[in-house]
Amino acid sequence: MSPDRIMESVSDGRSPIIRFDHASFGFPGLIALKDISLPIYDGEFVGVIGPNGSGKTTLCRAVLGLLPPVEGHLHIFDCACNELRCHHRAQIGYLPQKGVVDRNFPVTVLETVMMGRYGALGLLKRPGKKDRQIAMEALAQVSMESHQDTALGHLSGGQQQRVFIARALAQQPKVLILDEPTTGLDITMQHNVIELIQHLHDELKLTVLLITHDINMIRSRVDRLVLLKTRLYAAGPPAEVLKPEILHQVYGKELVITEKDLVIVEDYHHHH
Amino acid sequence: MFDLLAYDFMQRSLLAAAMVGGLCSVIGVFVVLRGLAFVGAGTSHAAFAGVALGYLMGWPPLLLAILFGLATVWITGWVEERGRMKLDVSIGILYTTTMALGILFIGLMKSYNAEVYGYLFGSVLSVTPDELRIIGALSVLVLSLLLLFAKELYFIAFDQEMAEASGVPARQMFFLLLTLVALTVVVSLKTVGAILVFAMILIPASTAYQLTHSLTTLTLYSAFIGITTSVLGVLISAIWDIPSGPAIVLLATAIFFTAVLFSPKRVRRAEVVHSH
Repeated sequence: MSPDRIMESVSDGRSPIIRFDHASFGFPGLIALKDISLPIYDGEFVGVIGPNGSGKTTLCRAVLGLLPPVEGHLHIFDCACNELRCHHRAQIGYLPQKGVVDRNFPVTVLETVMMGRYGALGLLKRPGKKDRQIAMEALAQVSMESHQDTALGHLSGGQQQRVFIARALAQQPKVLILDEPTTGLDITMQHNVIELIQHLHDELKLTVLLITHDINMIRSRVDRLVLLKTRLYAAGPPAEVLKPEILHQVYGKELVITEKDLVIVEDYHHHH
Repeated sequence: MFDLLAYDFMQRSLLAAAMVGGLCSVIGVFVVLRGLAFVGAGTSHAAFAGVALGYLMGWPPLLLAILFGLATVWITGWVEERGRMKLDVSIGILYTTTMALGILFIGLMKSYNAEVYGYLFGSVLSVTPDELRIIGALSVLVLSLLLLFAKELYFIAFDQEMAEASGVPARQMFFLLLTLVALTVVVSLKTVGAILVFAMILIPASTAYQLTHSLTTLTLYSAFIGITTSVLGVLISAIWDIPSGPAIVLLATAIFFTAVLFSPKRVRRAEVVHSH
């Protein structure tokens, strides 16, 4: 599907809050994402899928303003991404991939969530009662308020994930970006976390960018799927993107589509 | 022992030890959490080379120590940011190079200079009123900056990229932290010496790490351990007439191993395993 058609089919006259315009990311000679044109609209729930190494995390980092495009343009909140200021970044909540941070770091649950306030507060301002209240509300939204004084390292993987989602919420963001939030969790926890994300999207009207390899878990929940493999292969409603001929282009022989229309990527079999 | 406290030099050295112990142990929290321990070690040797050059040329040794220290941490930070080289490689090279320079500068001196060796091994008992004032001023400066930017520094120690993504000026804060480490090392040179200052930064924070899961408590414990071991170390050093640097560091090490043995984290971990 051409980028122009994507614009027409979803825009409804709204202007996008994130706009990739023929943008490429990476280093000269090692391009992780090439020629991406993609608008993301306010309040959308977008799932980003693609094989390992397809540039999903790069897309995240780009939207966070951590990685300016080497070619083309990326606009976030109508700012070119290299002009993105700290207060803009504070409007994007981010849940990094598991394993990026030291989860045995000596920090309590409430201290972790309070960090979400730091960027929004700005320099030289000490977090006060109001920030504490926002942090506690964020904890309540992920049903972790009773653990506020627990050490982060003492929680289970799913609980830690909830705490990190609460930290993102404490920023009071407009956009929530989640990079493989269900990796390493058992199947019940995976469903819990995805349901929580859906709930936050519905309840707080957040724009959600959910990166995952688990197509089946999100296909019925997202407004749009974005299929990446260095290039943008498809973007649109799940039914339009999850067509065998499109999927086979990206996943090749590793992809199996069952009778019940489940999409199974062999590569990830052992996760389920 | 109380007779000793009546001496001016003793009061000066206890005050210097308390300030250096407090300062090192507080910055040590960020150094340990951000994984900059080796940077601290490299900086102390670079600062010593600065001192040696100062004595060789007749320039102010502390000023040169600051310049050498800052140059080392900034180069290290720049290299890490660019991802050009692994941090332990770059600091390892700077560490040995500056140590070689220090030895070279000493070798070039016409006569034996006991004061230079004081900076290498620490001689808190010979702290002069002027030096005490410099230590005091730099301590106040470093501690105020730590306090002002505490929330940002904790965040980058936890997860620098996450801090940057959520709107904290993380790179600037990282360089601020490196700068404060360099200043702390210089402040501490005279008291504990270039070789042992690293231990003063590392040990109290690592000891506190064994005892708590809260960032705030960790910092308070670390400061308490740092100040107590420094003051007691100086007293031990004066009473039994042993060098002050090793007295402080060995005392801190003993407390560290005691904390490891009785760490509630270890007990807690055993419980967690048990309950499954």
